Amino acid sequence: MTSRAYLLMTLGFYAVGALQILAQALMGRRLRGNLTLTATLLGFAFHTAGLSQRWTEAGRFPAVGLHDAASFVAWATVLVFLLVHLRARVEALGLFVYPVAFALMLVAALTPASERDDPILKSLFLPIHTTLAFFGYAALFVACAMGVLYLIQERELKSRSPRRFYYLIPSLERCDTISGRSVIVGFGLLTLAIVTGVLWNRAAFGRLWTWDAKEWSALLAWVIYVMLIAARQRAGWGGRRAALLGIVGFGAVAFTFVWMSLTPGVSAAAR
Amino acid sequence: MIVVVGLSHRTAPLEVREALAFPREALPQALERLRAEVGLAEAMVLSTCNRVEVYGRAAAPLAPAVASFLADYHRRPAAELDPFLYRLEGEEAVRHAFRVAASLDSMVLGEPQILGQVKEAYQIAEKAGSLGAVLNALRNRSISAAKRARTETGIGENAVSISYVAVELARKIFGELKDRSVLLVGAGKMSELAARHLVRGGAQATVLGGRTFQRAEQLAAALGGKAAPFESLRAELARADIVISGTGAPGIVVQREDVQAACSGRRQRPLFLIDIAVPRDIDPRAADLPGVFLYDLDDLRSVAEANLRERRKEAAAAETLVEGEVLEFLEWRRSLEVVPLLVELRQRADEIRRAEVEKARKRLGPLTPEQEQALEAVTTAIVNKLLHPPTVHLKEMAGNGHAREHMGLIRKLLGL
Repeated sequence: MTSRAYLLMTLGFYAVGALQILAQALMGRRLRGNLTLTATLLGFAFHTAGLSQRWTEAGRFPAVGLHDAASFVAWATVLVFLLVHLRARVEALGLFVYPVAFALMLVAALTPASERDDPILKSLFLPIHTTLAFFGYAALFVACAMGVLYLIQERELKSRSPRRFYYLIPSLERCDTISGRSVIVGFGLLTLAIVTGVLWNRAAFGRLWTWDAKEWSALLAWVIYVMLIAARQRAGWGGRRAALLGIVGFGAVAFTFVWMSLTPGVSAAAR
Repeated sequence: MIVVVGLSHRTAPLEVREALAFPREALPQALERLRAEVGLAEAMVLSTCNRVEVYGRAAAPLAPAVASFLADYHRRPAAELDPFLYRLEGEEAVRHAFRVAASLDSMVLGEPQILGQVKEAYQIAEKAGSLGAVLNALRNRSISAAKRARTETGIGENAVSISYVAVELARKIFGELKDRSVLLVGAGKMSELAARHLVRGGAQATVLGGRTFQRAEQLAAALGGKAAPFESLRAELARADIVISGTGAPGIVVQREDVQAACSGRRQRPLFLIDIAVPRDIDPRAADLPGVFLYDLDDLRSVAEANLRERRKEAAAAETLVEGEVLEFLEWRRSLEVVPLLVELRQRADEIRRAEVEKARKRLGPLTPEQEQALEAVTTAIVNKLLHPPTVHLKEMAGNGHAREHMGLIRKLLGL
């Protein structure tokens, strides 16, 4: 099978997962994750096979251009979700993860694969830097999603008349804890990604910083997360403010990812 | 045939249910009379504050006899009880038994006690020797269906009593209750009940006492916590995670300013205020403060109602699940209907086989043991092979409920 065939299979399974969980939430039913999880696991298996196939076809690590980047970051997100799920079953997290994984795969399916084959892409920095970055994005996405769940649940509890989400979302404490831990993991990966990115710059262009927008937004995200982690540890920040900051931080991360995928070069200097 | 005769909160007011209740110690004798006098082959009596029901198996339709037994036993005119009683037979009775065990027929939908009461009623019947194969099967299948309904649907989830609602809300805010601190303002009965649930979950209690400090100390001791004077309210508020206020005071006891002052020292930790006093103890404006969740008695009631609505939604799923189990049970029961016929068929075939073997032996003269064996084996195999398809199909037909109507034809075809 070609990597595109695998991709379409993956897309189908993720669609089942996303539709299933959204239907449950809309009908106000308890989230029963078993069917959703089965679809996702099958999708993930095809996804993994598809990525390795794509690696062979492209002749380089499959993380260049929107097609590859979307598919790879979706893969990382699903994997991180499954790991979180193993430790703490939070079915409500699927409300974010399944649709996003589906949307990213849809983007990948609708965009052509990049045929770029620069010498710069032969560098060992490509797999290292992108893997660190994408898993960092995935963890920070989970942190952001748990923050959103926190805010919704807080509003439900404040309103004193529980509606649907009160039943679907875990306790405030749980949302906050998972969000906090995901931020730490994501921040660690993001830091390493920035460091390897800088080193890659030096290896490729002889300088550390290329003044590309994505470098600035990554740095901005990094600063936001430093503030968030410091506030949590020093000032005992948690809950609402931490959730909001986590969402803002992820905004910068999302920009970094989109800019990186859309601009053809590894960075502006490559053009 | 399985019969159920009885009344419940759906059909009878409390005073009638009370009048018909069976005290526990009277049950063995009542079961004995149900078998001896009414003629039930098997019997079980389920008597709770919400229902009194006789479950039985009988060869004939005995529901009216059971109804008059209930009247006689409690010395009531039968006509007086008549409008309250339901008499269910066969499929209806089975369905009822399953739904009761699964708490689908309970006054508080999904309440967990009924399953224990059902189990106990069967145990008493078993000890009294009035449980046979049929009611025992009904017991096993209905209890396992009830357990499935409880684990696979949300029918038993979400509290519907005020004190449990408070505990559940605390869990929705704090997750684990272990080492959370609960502050009781006033030592009323309701606060005590809610506090007990919280302490059982691992929370530490502090009781604030006013004029009657002794009462506060007693309650603190009962909850394994400590008592503190009312003057330390602000300091205790700053420490507390959950506050339950239930004083009999005529005005506001906990001012918004008190809560606000407490919040500044809390570093964003949420504060859950439960005001179960009427008139209210806690200034309602405290609810606007960030990180503060304030619930009064009406709020807790409306959460309980919302929870009950959730349960009703889940009840639809539970009904479907239980109905599947009911149909399976009925199918199994029907498949047993052809068992006597099959036994008869087998006996008849074996008689013929033996007779023919005997005839053959006479004609063949003396045989070696090997030949004897071969003769037995071959004739048995022929009988078995011939009987196999009708056996399978009869069981299947019986399971589908088609055997009964064709019984005459079947017997004729098989020469029985």
